[in-house]
Amino acid sequence: MSKFAYIDNQPYEINEGETILAFLKRHRGEKYVPTLCDAPQLEPFGSCRVCSVEAALSENGPTKTVASCHAPLQEGMYIYPDTKKIRKLRRNLIELVLTDHPLDCLTCEVSGNCELQDVAARVGMATVRYPAGANHLDTPKDTSHPYMTSDLSKCINCYRCVRACDEIQGEMVLSMHGRGFTNRIIKGMDTSFKDSPCVSCGACSQACPTSAISDRFKSKSIAATNNTRTICTYCGVGCNLDVSTANGEVLSIQASGDSEVNAAHTCLKGRYAFGFYKHPDRLTKPLIKEGDGFREATWDEAYDHIAAKLKDIVSTHGKDSVAGISSARCTNEENYLMQKFIRAVVGTNNIDCCARVCHSPTALGMQKAFGTGAATNSIKDLDVTDLILVCGANPTDAHPVTGVKIKQAAMKGIPMIVIDPRKTDLANLATWHLQLRPGTNVALLNMMAHYIVTEGKVDHDFINERCEGHEEFMAQIRELDIEEHEKITGVDRQLVREAAVAYASVDNAMEFHGLGVTEHSQGSKTVMLLSNLAMLTGNIGRPGVGINPLRGQNNVQGAADMGAQPHQGAGYLDVTMPEHQEHYRTHYGVDVPKEIGLKIPQMFDAAIDGSLKALWIMGEDIVQTDPNTHHVTEAMESLDFLVVQELFMSETAKLADVILPGASFLEKEGTFTNGERRIQRVNRAVDPLEGTKADGQIVVDIMNRMGFEQKGYSADVILQEIAQVVPFFAGVTWEGLGEFGLQWPVNPDGTDTQIMHKKEFRRGKGMFHYFDWVETTELTENQEEYPYILTTGRVLEHYNCGTMTRRTGNAEIVDRDILVVNPLDAKAKGLKTGDPVTLRSARGEATLEAAVTEDVKPGVVYTTFHFPEIMVNYITGNVHDEETMCPEYKVVAVDFDKAKATANA
Amino acid sequence: MSINFSHLSGRKGMDENLFDALVKEGGFTGTAETEKLKELAEDYLLGEAPLLGAASFYDFLRKENEGKKIHVCNGTACMVAGTQDKLRNKISEHFDDKEVGHICCLGRCHENSAFQHNGQNYSGETDLSTLSENNDSEDTYNVANDGTAHLTGEFPGIDAFYALLKDILKRDRAELVEELTRSNVRGRGGAGFPAGIKWKTVKDAPGEVKFVVCNADEGDPGAYSDRYLMEKQPHLVLFGMMVCGYITGAETGVLYIRAEYPDSVSIMTQAVEDLQQAGYLGENICDSGFNFKFKVVKGAGSYVCGEETALLASLEGQRPEVRVRPPFPAVQGLFRKPTALNNVETFAVIHPVFNLGGDAYSEIGRGRSSGTKLVSLDSFFNKPGIYEVAMGTPVSDIFENYGGGFKSPVKAVHIGGPLGGIVPLEKIPDLTLDFESFDDHGFLLGHASVVSIPDDFPVLKYIEHLFEFTAAESCGKCFPCRLGSQRGMELLRKARTSDYKMDRELLDDLLETLEETSLCALGGGLPLPVKNVLQYFKDELNPYFQEA
Repeated sequence: MSKFAYIDNQPYEINEGETILAFLKRHRGEKYVPTLCDAPQLEPFGSCRVCSVEAALSENGPTKTVASCHAPLQEGMYIYPDTKKIRKLRRNLIELVLTDHPLDCLTCEVSGNCELQDVAARVGMATVRYPAGANHLDTPKDTSHPYMTSDLSKCINCYRCVRACDEIQGEMVLSMHGRGFTNRIIKGMDTSFKDSPCVSCGACSQACPTSAISDRFKSKSIAATNNTRTICTYCGVGCNLDVSTANGEVLSIQASGDSEVNAAHTCLKGRYAFGFYKHPDRLTKPLIKEGDGFREATWDEAYDHIAAKLKDIVSTHGKDSVAGISSARCTNEENYLMQKFIRAVVGTNNIDCCARVCHSPTALGMQKAFGTGAATNSIKDLDVTDLILVCGANPTDAHPVTGVKIKQAAMKGIPMIVIDPRKTDLANLATWHLQLRPGTNVALLNMMAHYIVTEGKVDHDFINERCEGHEEFMAQIRELDIEEHEKITGVDRQLVREAAVAYASVDNAMEFHGLGVTEHSQGSKTVMLLSNLAMLTGNIGRPGVGINPLRGQNNVQGAADMGAQPHQGAGYLDVTMPEHQEHYRTHYGVDVPKEIGLKIPQMFDAAIDGSLKALWIMGEDIVQTDPNTHHVTEAMESLDFLVVQELFMSETAKLADVILPGASFLEKEGTFTNGERRIQRVNRAVDPLEGTKADGQIVVDIMNRMGFEQKGYSADVILQEIAQVVPFFAGVTWEGLGEFGLQWPVNPDGTDTQIMHKKEFRRGKGMFHYFDWVETTELTENQEEYPYILTTGRVLEHYNCGTMTRRTGNAEIVDRDILVVNPLDAKAKGLKTGDPVTLRSARGEATLEAAVTEDVKPGVVYTTFHFPEIMVNYITGNVHDEETMCPEYKVVAVDFDKAKATANA
Repeated sequence: MSINFSHLSGRKGMDENLFDALVKEGGFTGTAETEKLKELAEDYLLGEAPLLGAASFYDFLRKENEGKKIHVCNGTACMVAGTQDKLRNKISEHFDDKEVGHICCLGRCHENSAFQHNGQNYSGETDLSTLSENNDSEDTYNVANDGTAHLTGEFPGIDAFYALLKDILKRDRAELVEELTRSNVRGRGGAGFPAGIKWKTVKDAPGEVKFVVCNADEGDPGAYSDRYLMEKQPHLVLFGMMVCGYITGAETGVLYIRAEYPDSVSIMTQAVEDLQQAGYLGENICDSGFNFKFKVVKGAGSYVCGEETALLASLEGQRPEVRVRPPFPAVQGLFRKPTALNNVETFAVIHPVFNLGGDAYSEIGRGRSSGTKLVSLDSFFNKPGIYEVAMGTPVSDIFENYGGGFKSPVKAVHIGGPLGGIVPLEKIPDLTLDFESFDDHGFLLGHASVVSIPDDFPVLKYIEHLFEFTAAESCGKCFPCRLGSQRGMELLRKARTSDYKMDRELLDDLLETLEETSLCALGGGLPLPVKNVLQYFKDELNPYFQEA
């Protein structure tokens, strides 16, 4: 039975628990009730009172004035939302607001897009009758920050910025200050944006109904003539962005309000760090190596040169003397084309992508355990989970929008286990921070499994019905020597026990992991152990549970899905299986190679030993980002021919024979697939910079130039082809993806999948694996000479090698890599914060600045790798995950001492 | 306000209370040092801005209070008594102007000339030259009842007094709350909400951790009955809170006592210690399985903290801004846990209720207003003091027979605090002291404090004072109160001090906006006394308005 309430005596259906405002909006439209302090992503607050309505308990009965935004609707209530009295009250309220607001609308940056202006117009303000009184009109502007601005003379004290900073970003950088009429917004300790702990996410600016808080790009102005919805190019969260443009230039970016991924929120990279796209450093002409430098060339010249060179190398050294590295920054369509080019045109499986250096162990580990190497659940499941386990991930820096969702849950008391050698933002909030020694994930996760088994917390129904290998696994895990493992990990066994029991005791526990799991010598094994925990406790196949890798790059999921890896083609089909070879042959129209190709580290070795002659790299700076820079550089220099598609003259591009200027995400179309398997549409906001081409177009051009007929680069056309080749893209069409995207597998009828492995695993039964912890050879071989452990990670402000973010205002916020050292170690080394430090490993050395904090335990140091001046990867080593060859960035034997010169001098 | 803040502050809860730490660090001499605030923010996993924002809210913690040594009462009763200008002059002989601050109502409304120095209150005749040695700051006032003392009797000693608790702890909680409901006790803080219903809601609310909070932020200028209870009858209050804890399932009782009442803080703290010593606190009290402990928290100077949601925000260390309801504190209160929050006097009546029995107690009083009520009379009465009367007693009876009539000519009385009605003398015979009589006549019982407005005190100045008080104490969250109280004060001041004539329609619009749209009773209640004055003192006010 439907329940009703009345608007102006007309009955309307009500929703259980809704506010009067929500009810009125549903039936009379979003804008029917004027509001100022209300905002869709924020809790009802009740400060402006403009949404007041009259409410009665009987038809035309005695009414009460209530603020509709927080007044609960009751069945049978009579709402009178627009009476003469209400109109007058709203007018009187706005009149009061205007006694303390500048009346300079014509010169205001948000004129035409100001909520106060709209509401004032709607209530019919004529005059302000109050005599001039105290006001805040002289409040000075704050233009201290590279992005954020404030002009608090325009502030109406609605608290939306304060609430956004708290309720969305979880940062609490803003507050009201003072009392009553003297109230004013402060940043940090009543300082400027620049000097405050602001993380520049821009949530406050987007939430502000006036121009009191805004940004350098005037993102709320109506100067733009076009607005394009697209997907962020940075991390794997996949934020939806609204790009404002005019005259072919990007003016500003805001987070799309209705997006399922990021609902009006994003981080400073997505919102503000777009200036790189028209930076003067952009490459705008093909370049061909000549002597010690490069000469500019036409596209035709470059293509002819490449085609001739590749044909020559293939005919002399064979197809397998050529390799390609695709890009997780590029679209699905571009990745599909790149692997197709290498496989169908060149004829080798030597194709890989940067997933090799990040989540290849996730893909492999989860394929072995469950049958699919992708997130089992969706990020929105955070709303219903009862416990969060974060292992080896620092999402508030590296995956900010997902990170703050986890943070919000933890702040509100959802129990959280954080397994990390560092005191990350989330670790500080965690119920249990298991601060293990880097490189001991396997030992720690085995301890957790041991306690789940020995404390009787196993979900036997689940494992008996849906898994295999559990009996052997449990027999082995029972025998675990806990005392020894406590020593190995350095984590108190009781803490591990409590965390394990908590994980196993709640109804729904959700796991997240990052590169702190995968970038280890036992990375793939660690992923399988995480899978063990989920299976042991039945945390698979429903909302609020599962294993959820936080994918690092915007389309690293897609790059692997599209086959940019040497052992599996598009759609993860094994390249050695005849039926799959036939599948590809049918669709590509040519025979495909049958042997597994080279992984990236193997390509380096092959280049050095002379068997690999040519390499084509699409948008990856392997020299700066892959470990052991000396080795990578030697490999590049050993090649006969290196082609690089790039936006900028990267460290890798400098070593190329031909450089082809690609286009940025703002200049192309296609699809990106985010970390929760969501395929989303990337729309072109501006045309490619003159002289540059979309990377997909470049690949298509060269395919044609080499005699393979490939249709031109257009997202919907390529997507049609992909839908035929990749089984789990069966129902994907450009139109069908819509505004919110679809999560694969997408069935032929277009329905998608939020949660995987519901009834059974993709591989049938979930597979348990047992592994003993083994110390990495990096330490066993080097720790005598290099007794400290270096672990690496990222900061919020920069993205990977910083090619893009260093060319934006982000570089004004963070301009160097630093080495984090525990105070005890710092004391032993005579170091203090700010001192230059020389960091050494068996491979090389780098000099950077020390930051002395307790974020790491004694014996462990930590740094980022965003700045080429430092080249931290001179330090990192050759050890890889045994199975996927994902490099061990997270454990490096080092030593360090105070340096004589400053780091960046 | 911030749900995140509530939860994070709640991680340390009352044992290592954030607000307590803010007050201690500020030390009543201004905001805590920046470094200290940063440390607290880190400890509590909070941002630094909201902590500075919170500190800046309170009279004693804001930067402006830095260096102040003596605080002069600027409450309504002292103002109408006309004692404070003289006091200020006297003070300026001993203190630098920079050292003199203000404080709003020390509850010395019966003596006036009130001020606070070095954490101690003084009133009446004080020798300022011997202030540093003068520890005898105690005041005297009359206390009487109609012969049967429920709230104003002799304290028989802890064991005798708490014998009733032992009986109660043997009884079923549902049955107790039922008996309380039958007693018809309504909240004495002003709103008159039935205590039985509130406690039952807390009792039935899901959650393992619950709180009992005593609102001892008696900020109404003119009221000092809660001060009387805390300083003279502390165990009445503690007893009521313990019974509440037993009924609702709460194990922590928090007393939020205003800093303007230093003696109340020390006496209540001592009473808690005495009770602890006597073995009535802690685990398994009287072998009943019931655990209970108290925490006494001292405020920092803010009237709006008397509003329940602001008080809870304050206790959490947040800015004490009023939050929207629902959720009500009974369901999501302190640290978002179910909380029974009542006024001092409401807790105090619990002993008489269970001593007499709910039914017998409901017989006292009149109609839906059961029991006795404390009334505070100011210095214009011949016998100022605290009087316990049965609800329904004629107000004129209280004024004449208890108060002994007025010392000097008075034209109106302001009953029930700054948001109560202003009653012209001719209306006094119509009123009996109960919720219904006041409502029916367009006034408000409130906390039953009485401030007299002498014949020679201009009512324009009086309502300007009320606007000024509201502007100074408004939390500033809702637009009508933040802006309206300021603009109203400016209008009235301009009319009083220049030849500016007010637009009556504008003032009426302002009052309607405040009354109809304010988030809490501060902005919403201000129009009542103003409208009373506009109605009953039309002639006195006419010259300040534009001609119609």
